Amino acid sequence: MKLTRPTQDQVTTGLEYLLQQISGMKTRWDGPRRLRVDLASESLPALLELLKGRAGYVHLSAISCVDWPDQNEFELVYHLWSYEMNVLIMAHIRIAREPGVYVSVYDLYHPAAFFERDIHEMFGVFFEGSPDMGKFILTEWDGPPPMRKEFDGEAWVMEHFNWQDYQPDWLTDIEAQGGGITTRPEELRHRNKTK
Amino acid sequence: MRPENYQSFHQPPSHEYELFFGPNHPGIEGNYALRVQLHGDEVLRARADGGYLHRGFEKLMEGRLWIQNIALVPRICVPDPVPMEVCYSLAIEQLGGLEVPERAQWIRVMQLELSRIAAHLFTFGGHAATTGMYTPMFWGIADRDLILDLFEELSGGRVYHIYNIPGGVRRDLPEGYLDRVRKTLEYIESRLPDYDNLMFQNQIFVRRATGTGTMTQQQALEWGVTGPNLRATGLEFDVRRDDPYLVYDQLEFDIPVEEAGDAWARALVRRSELKESLRILRQVVDRLPSIGGPIRAPIPNPLAWNLPAGDVYTRVESSKGELAYYVVSNGGDKPYRVHVRGPSAMHAVQVLENLVTGGRVEDVAQIMFSLDACPPEVDR
Repeated sequence: MKLTRPTQDQVTTGLEYLLQQISGMKTRWDGPRRLRVDLASESLPALLELLKGRAGYVHLSAISCVDWPDQNEFELVYHLWSYEMNVLIMAHIRIAREPGVYVSVYDLYHPAAFFERDIHEMFGVFFEGSPDMGKFILTEWDGPPPMRKEFDGEAWVMEHFNWQDYQPDWLTDIEAQGGGITTRPEELRHRNKTK
Repeated sequence: MRPENYQSFHQPPSHEYELFFGPNHPGIEGNYALRVQLHGDEVLRARADGGYLHRGFEKLMEGRLWIQNIALVPRICVPDPVPMEVCYSLAIEQLGGLEVPERAQWIRVMQLELSRIAAHLFTFGGHAATTGMYTPMFWGIADRDLILDLFEELSGGRVYHIYNIPGGVRRDLPEGYLDRVRKTLEYIESRLPDYDNLMFQNQIFVRRATGTGTMTQQQALEWGVTGPNLRATGLEFDVRRDDPYLVYDQLEFDIPVEEAGDAWARALVRRSELKESLRILRQVVDRLPSIGGPIRAPIPNPLAWNLPAGDVYTRVESSKGELAYYVVSNGGDKPYRVHVRGPSAMHAVQVLENLVTGGRVEDVAQIMFSLDACPPEVDR
């Protein structure tokens, strides 16, 4: 199927006209094919429905989550692409870090199932209405969501695993000759961190 | 003699059983698993089971300098590592406002297309092997090795090149390199009739692949399919042309499209794409000698390099589909957040689950290879 595409000017004016329908929204062009949109989290489903229905935004490229512990917020970014407009729209919303719940957009975009499941696993954000919030990658993990900023992987290892002295004969022989590498726990980076 | 309390155990008549397909299975690409519910040899349900290759790249990147992460990113997809380096570098360049010199852009395109050919040869082999033909697999791996030789000469690494860095490429082409590229291209082109004879005109392969794992264009769009798999359903879309990066807008190439949407169409699209990559590479090899100048833009001291705060979403067309990086900087010397959107995150999970359901168990491996799924992109 050969697509006939509107010109860049038509796309720009068309999209800007369309986006006027959602109030309280900031838009900014980050290049000829990148449109950044900041809006309130309640308006996002309306925006997605508008874009999918009226501007051919059928492709949800990704949902990214960014943790901002200082503002006590999660930022969710919906990257949308239209095969007709050839403009990528990045819709940014902020949700409260506690309780960290948002609505699923699975009914509009099926790829959302994977990304929402991933964000739930890595950040602990729950998406209401998502088909499956079960574990996928971290099947045997029962610790805190690891992609949150407060999670320190090295500290977790030090707390949960014992330092084992491994001193076989062959290593002792090498060390007697001045070789070998050993890193004691007190030499590890995170112990020297000033918190 | 039976004990007094003996009761015969009554099994309800059922032929359903669960099969664990992978993670160590020759029909699975990489360490990945599918839990398949079967009735006889008919697949009733399938659940993808990932995580065997999770190395926490996104978290690791947050703790390393912008430049250090270049050594991490190619490991996200082993068969096709160059798009990872380029996509990450493009993101940093956009954040830091770096202008990549023209020569570096052309060298990058050469790298990307060589990597695409290598990945497609690998996939030909894998796809053929799932139908019981092992010769194309050996051929594919042997021919891919010639491209790896070129990578090795350029960067010192056969698989992980760590060659594209923010601002350009690490070093210039060695003397006579373009001639060796040209020779390799000629050799690969001369091999294509052999592949056609053995694989693409082989009725065993054609009949096995035709009608297997079929999806319509509407389904493909609904499931988030990208790249060659989307083009095999008839949609003519390529990031290289429709959201161009580097110097792709100066190159001439066609976008091969097939209508059927089955495993056969996907194999054909890759076959035609390989030919287009050869065409692109010929143009690059002809143009490169006339493009002089530096191979990378001057960057500040990379060990104390604070990028301005902001976020950027960069996309490239990898051999598997649309590869994207979402990179956030808070003005520090390390990324605040990196999100990798691998094309296989869609293909290996919900698309695969949907396509194998209702099919037969012997087609599961073929469908996975025909989708060219790369599990490390899913797990990251």
